[in-house]
Parts: sequence; C-alpha cells; structure tokens
Amino acid sequence: MIPHNVTMGKNFILQAVFILFLLFPVSHTQAAGETDLSAGSEPVLSSGKADEGPNGAEDDAGQEEKWEDEWEEADALADPLEPFNRFFFHFNDKLYFWVLKPVARVYSGIFPEEVQIAVRNFFDNLEAPARAINSLLQGNVRGSASEVARFTLNSTVGIIGFGDFAGDVMGLRSSNEDFGQTLAHYGAGGGFYINWPFLGPSNLRDSLGMLGDGYVHPFILLDVDRDVTIGLRTIEVVNSTALTLGDYELFVGTALDPYAAVKDAYQQYRNGLIQK
Amino acid sequence: MAQYIKQNKLVPVVLVMFLTILLFGSGIFAATAAGPMEQLQKSVDELLRILQSQELKEPDKKSERKQLIDNATNEIFDFREMARSSLGQTWDTLTSEEQDQFVGLFTRLIEQRYKGKLDAYDNQKIIYKKELINGKKALINTAVIDKDLEILIDYRLKENQGKWLVYDLKIENVSLISNYRRDFDSIIRKEQFAGLVEKMSKQLEKSDTAN
Repeated sequence: MIPHNVTMGKNFILQAVFILFLLFPVSHTQAAGETDLSAGSEPVLSSGKADEGPNGAEDDAGQEEKWEDEWEEADALADPLEPFNRFFFHFNDKLYFWVLKPVARVYSGIFPEEVQIAVRNFFDNLEAPARAINSLLQGNVRGSASEVARFTLNSTVGIIGFGDFAGDVMGLRSSNEDFGQTLAHYGAGGGFYINWPFLGPSNLRDSLGMLGDGYVHPFILLDVDRDVTIGLRTIEVVNSTALTLGDYELFVGTALDPYAAVKDAYQQYRNGLIQK
Repeated sequence: MAQYIKQNKLVPVVLVMFLTILLFGSGIFAATAAGPMEQLQKSVDELLRILQSQELKEPDKKSERKQLIDNATNEIFDFREMARSSLGQTWDTLTSEEQDQFVGLFTRLIEQRYKGKLDAYDNQKIIYKKELINGKKALINTAVIDKDLEILIDYRLKENQGKWLVYDLKIENVSLISNYRRDFDSIIRKEQFAGLVEKMSKQLEKSDTAN
C-alpha cells in the first residue's frame, strides 16, 4: 500500500516535472542561440552570461578569504504554494510517525548497524553515475573521474556497492553533486519551495534535478521491473530512516514552527552544497 | 626534506627547528592562554563526560546532573548573544525583563536540541580540523564521523576576557541561528512576541514531560 503510493506520488511528480523540463531548456537554448547570432546588437544578455562563470569563482574565493564576515542569510525562498506545502508537510509528518518510524524500528531491530550501512552504501553507489555526469557538467573533471572510479571499484571490489572500498581504502570521497546543483551552477535560482508528498522538501529547480538524475539511475537504465523497483525503493527509504531515527523528532521537537524550520534548513543545506 | 637538502637549504631548516625548540623550552608559548579550538574541545569533552557518566544517571543525582550540564553548556555557548541575534530586530523592542525571560527560554530550547544530539553520542569520532582566528573572532571547522558518514560542524566564536564562546554553529551548512530566526519570525509575524513566548513555554513543557 505504501510503496504503491510512493510510486504514484513519484510518477505524478515525474510527469509534472517532465513537462516543465521539456519547456524550460528548449526556450532557454533558443534564446541563447538568438543572442549569439545577434551578439553585436544585443550585448546585454551575452555579457551577463559570460560574466557569470568568473564572477561566481571570484565570489567563492572572496568568501574563502573573508571568513570573518558573518554568515549571510539568503532571502527566504518564495512560497506561493504555502497552504498546499503545509498540508503535505503535515501529511509527511504523520506518515513518518505512524508508518515509517514503526517500520524502521522493527527493521533496525532485525538488521545490525553494519548491515544498514552496507545497504545505504549499495543505494548510494547507484547514484554515482548521476554524480559523475553532474560533476562533469559543472566542469569538475577530477570529481567526475573520481566518481567513475568509485562506481567501478565499489561495484566490483566493493561487492556491488555494499562496501565502500574506494572511500575506505583508496580515500576517494564522493562529490555529492546532483542535477539540481548543476542547474544552479548555470545560474538557475530555486524558483519556489515545494513540499512534495512522500518525497519531502524541494524546490522547483531541485525537482527538475530529481527528474534529470532519475534518468541515469541504474534502475531506469537497466530497465528494472516496476515492482522490483518499488520494493527496492521502499527498502532504501526504510533503511535510511533506520539510520537516522531520532534526528527528525529532535529537530521538529525543538522548532516552534516546524514547517518554517524545515523549509529554511532545506534552503540553507542546498545553498551550502551549491556553493561548495 | 629531501628537496631541501638538494637545494642546500638544510641550514635554515635546522635553524628554525632549533629556534622553535628553544622558544617552547623557555616557556614563551606556555604563558599564552588556550586558543579557541583547544577551549572548545575541552568544554565539549567535559559535557560529553557528564552526559555519559553512569553515576550521574542515578535518580538521586538528577538535579546535580542538570546543574553540571547547565554549567558545561555555559562554558560552550554565549546564550544571551545567540538569543539576541535569533530574534533580530524584535530584540530591541523588548524590555530588559522580557529579554531575560527570552534568553532563559531560548537557552533551554538550544540545550534540548544540542543535548538530545549529544545524549545519543556513542563514541563517534570528533575531528577538530581547523581554527581561524582574527582578533576577537574565530571560526572552527570540525567533523563528526557517525555511522561511516562525515558530518561537518562549523563553530563561530567570540572572545571575551580570554574566554571563547560559541555564538553560532553550522551543521551541514545549516546555521542554527539563521534557522531559529526564520522559525521565530514565522511565529512573530502572526502572533507577536507574546505568542512566541507562549509557544516556547508550551514546547518546553511538552518535552519536559516526555523525558
């Protein structure tokens, strides 16, 4: 019942986002092409675009040097869907306490922590192709090569990803890149906040990102059977919940408006990953 | 080292090493107060020791334990400064009694969040990576290795009479103060400061009975 709903939710999102995805890059490339052709007459857009790369790099360097500057607060993410988001926040909260947590507790009682870590590694390894592509798209060739090496090593020597041979023995760290960050790298803002049912906090850009990354996930690439995918995804969610039992409770239990606190934490967390 | 020898620079290297030993030996550095990272590490270790002490977990030691935890967290955090900045502009509109009341509530809230995390502490490795100091301000990068994952925690500290106290921290890039500012702001906008105080008291009551 739950896994079924999970995919229902996911499919709906995938479809909705897919439409946006189709519209968004096409219009974007056309616009870029046009300005390129008339580069002489319309310098505004192209110069802005050209400045983006180096400017971003300068900003980063500046941040590094001036660590004394207080941590800046980004403007709050727009939230035109707040009533819906709050509804689904409440829904996910109940889902966590009534379904996910009890299941994860039982799971946690059966499988020792070492097994849970191995399972997490397995699912994490499946996201390595997406990370490799996104590192490359952001111009980080070394990071990309490292992800390829990680994926190759961990899928073989690391016993199809259950061990982290590349990390433990070779010291190859994961880059943690995704398509949402790639879009941000090329100047896309968050858009607005979306609290998806089942999937939780996101924004317009990162939802597109999720969809993009979904296409290079081995489950899709290897055309894994739908029901098997649902089952595996369920294990993934239960396993990661088992590993972080207590964190969510503590956070929302010491927040006054948990919705606002989670929304802000999501924004800060993502901005941190993007700036890195 | 091999390169230095090749380039015939061994002499200055030896000289520097010699001077360093001389300086340390003569106690010039020994007189300076502990740096922010050293202080933080000591205070956190002390708090962890208290939280993990089986002896203090006896029922009759309850109030003693609470007192020790309060003292230890006061050695780490500048709660008043944190409370002030988490309220933003609203702070200036408050009377000093209201400010004191808010600091008290805020302190308990932070203690709960921080303590809740530390209570679950089970000999995870804490790495104190780097400290940056400029005058009276410092930034310390640390990491906790939990279940094979590295969780980054950055502390911001201010010095006051030789004592370094934390006034904000970031866990995986999420600043505690910024997060509470948004959180409090969301309540204040609808229910003003009075509503915030009421919510905080209720929240603390709820978790006190839960414990």
